Amino acid sequence: MTLNSFIKGALSAAAITMAGSFAYAQQAGGSLVFLVQPEPPTMAGYVSTSGPIGLLGPKIYDGLVDYDNDGKMVPMLAESVDVSADGKTITFNLRKGVTWHDGEAFTSEDVQFTIMDVLKKVHPRGPNSFKEVSSIDTPDDHTAVFNLDNPAPYMLRALSSYESPMVPKHHLEGQDVKTAKLANNPIGTGPFKFVEWKKGQYMRLDKNENYWREGRPYLDRIVGRFVPDASTRAAAMEKGEVLYAAYNAVSNVEAVRLNKEKDNIGLTTDGYSMINPMALIEFNTKEGPFTDAAVRRAISTAIDRQYMIDTIFFGYGKPATSALSSNFSATGLHAEMPNYPANGDVAAANKILDDAGYSKDANGVRMKATFDLIPYGEDWKRGGQYIQQVLGEIGIKVDLRYEDVPTWLKRIYHNYDFEMNLNYFYQLSDPVLGVHRHYGTNMIRKGTHFVNSSRYSNAELDALLSAGMTTPDATKRAEIYLDIQKILANDMPVVNLFELEFLVVYNTKLKGAYGSAMGAYASFGDAYLD
Amino acid sequence: MNRSSKILRYVSRRLIQGIPIILAIVVLNFFLLNLAEGDAVDVLAGEAGSATPEYMEEMRKKFGLDKPLAVQLAVYLKNVIQLDLGYSFRHDMQVTELIIDRFWPTLILMVSTILLAVGFGILLGLFAAINLNTWKDSVVSVFALITYATPLFWVGLMMIILFSIKNDWFPTSGMENSAMFYEGFERVKDIAHHLVLPTITLSLFYLALYTRMMRASMLEQYGQDYVITARAKGVSERRITFVHVLRNALLPVVTMAGVQVGALIGGSVIVESVFAWPGLGMLAFESLFARDLNLLLGIFLLSSALVVAVNLVVDVVYCFLDPRIEVN
Repeated sequence: MTLNSFIKGALSAAAITMAGSFAYAQQAGGSLVFLVQPEPPTMAGYVSTSGPIGLLGPKIYDGLVDYDNDGKMVPMLAESVDVSADGKTITFNLRKGVTWHDGEAFTSEDVQFTIMDVLKKVHPRGPNSFKEVSSIDTPDDHTAVFNLDNPAPYMLRALSSYESPMVPKHHLEGQDVKTAKLANNPIGTGPFKFVEWKKGQYMRLDKNENYWREGRPYLDRIVGRFVPDASTRAAAMEKGEVLYAAYNAVSNVEAVRLNKEKDNIGLTTDGYSMINPMALIEFNTKEGPFTDAAVRRAISTAIDRQYMIDTIFFGYGKPATSALSSNFSATGLHAEMPNYPANGDVAAANKILDDAGYSKDANGVRMKATFDLIPYGEDWKRGGQYIQQVLGEIGIKVDLRYEDVPTWLKRIYHNYDFEMNLNYFYQLSDPVLGVHRHYGTNMIRKGTHFVNSSRYSNAELDALLSAGMTTPDATKRAEIYLDIQKILANDMPVVNLFELEFLVVYNTKLKGAYGSAMGAYASFGDAYLD
Repeated sequence: MNRSSKILRYVSRRLIQGIPIILAIVVLNFFLLNLAEGDAVDVLAGEAGSATPEYMEEMRKKFGLDKPLAVQLAVYLKNVIQLDLGYSFRHDMQVTELIIDRFWPTLILMVSTILLAVGFGILLGLFAAINLNTWKDSVVSVFALITYATPLFWVGLMMIILFSIKNDWFPTSGMENSAMFYEGFERVKDIAHHLVLPTITLSLFYLALYTRMMRASMLEQYGQDYVITARAKGVSERRITFVHVLRNALLPVVTMAGVQVGALIGGSVIVESVFAWPGLGMLAFESLFARDLNLLLGIFLLSSALVVAVNLVVDVVYCFLDPRIEVN
């Protein structure tokens, strides 16, 4: 089966599923109020991938496709996708009769403009996702032909409304995209129209009566509420004032309690597979105590990953077993590697350090270091405290440092003024999009956040990474990533700890909001109130 | 010269004196805020996941953050003098617009809190002073002590649990019902309903202060010669308390209320946070972490202007409360 027919098959299968869902009796109407935490800075999802924008943006903007829980493409603005045999020409057949919220028609010109002039230029990840796209032809209003320099299989996994929203050319053309008024007055083709943004309170979206999907959306209104205090958010959820909360808006401890005490509150870990968050430690491989890979391996060996998950994250998480998340098993890329023991092995770690010639002094200390912690809340502080204890057992004495976000970003990604850093990265839907940035020599970019801060550089790995980018064949790709994982399990410039499982907390009154792999970053066109 | 023109001259002189004070505050704040590591571009780029150095450089240039500090300050001062508070790059909005939008909720919360706290504080203080050294006095004193010593966020959360979750009397948070979006009079009712818990929480703290102060002030006045004179004349205790002592005892309480208006803008951050009340305190708090300096400076400017103005009003109110006090 060629890639082309595979995609076509996936799209038509999804279309059938969608048609089938009409058979159920969903109720139309009602308002969905849900938690958005924190308040987004703007609504320019085409300029910033800031998390809270993702919670609201995809309700207003559509992508070319969506992805179901198995990662298969679901048609959105593109009815079908044709990939040429050499993988260098990709044709999107666009849906007819789609209009923007202001009434203008959506055409292939918008697609061309969005990819070439917006995402490829100003989106944080767009230059990477659409790197190979050299031009887009628009033979007619409903056909967009992407011309690629090299095959880019990962690109087809970056077309959701969160990652690559289609934006109206007539509102951005001839302006500075980054300062255009569209940022605060979004106009999309999605199921809900932007009505009002009361800063510090809520954003209100009303039903798009002219939505291209017959009978959707069911809801009359979606309101994202901004509640700064974590306990109050939990109270609002408990009382039923808000019906949905994702990305830890309600903390794990409260979520588990509410789920136990209240019959009408449910929990799920679905909806994060395209995001793929991974907790990890970045090491400075150029200066300081961690330039030797043996020390980094010892640290990875000592940490009890399962213990961290159970005690700090209430059991929500999965021990990492390689540089890639196990969610990449679906595409055959993930392989389990040594040096990632789930339960930690302090004796083995001590032995690695002894063998490498690091002896303990009279106080049992081999080396000292400062451990920076990601300033995103209490869980990470506790994680740091646990690791501090374990490292003490293998003779590495660390002091913890917890700063505010700008100071921390500057330290890690501008000044490289750190030794080890607790962090988490989104591995996203393909290693090219989320993992390469952590290890490639070309990703050592001073001043760019969330890239290769370890300054790890390995020519052999670089060659494998670029092969992984341009190889469309799934079997060959799996072999390439096997080699990549082997190198990284040995060198460990970054020690992966565990795959974070964020929770979605929902009121059982809300149905139909869980079918997309994008989870909370989906359109909610199918959501309804019971 | 008659009294009203005297007051007018006094007010205008004080207003002119206020301008250099406010400018000095702006300059001081500017340098203080610039001491913090990182800038708005770092935060924006960090939230975005990843951004190229060229992109960040371009943003810095656009925000004017690439210029030397002195130039940035000069540009800012020039704009402030023209009453332009600048642009918030984070919110992509004019600072003035953002601040005005958040000023009304702050004002509503502030005014209702002061009215409640001062009103009940005066009553309780009066009650305690009349029943000096009885169990009633002790109850009031203990109540004041407890409310003063309890952390605000805890009181707020307990209020939510008691009156919102256990008893479905009030909404947990927010300023209006965001599922219904009432209009007209219904909206006023809705906002008032949302206002109850945050106002009570914030007032409890200040209430204690006014109660203690009122009680002490009453006791002090009772010891004055004019009270003895009144008693000697045969004026009833009731009349002495409510007509003579009460009026005089109010003076320090009013002073205190004036001073606290300024503190209330910043002091309500906790209450705003717990009840998701969209006021200026939260806005300032968030912009600090986002290094949104233009916005932060704008908020500081407004609160310093407010403090200067309220102090002036209090001084003027004095001469009406006590005709012996004169402005000059």
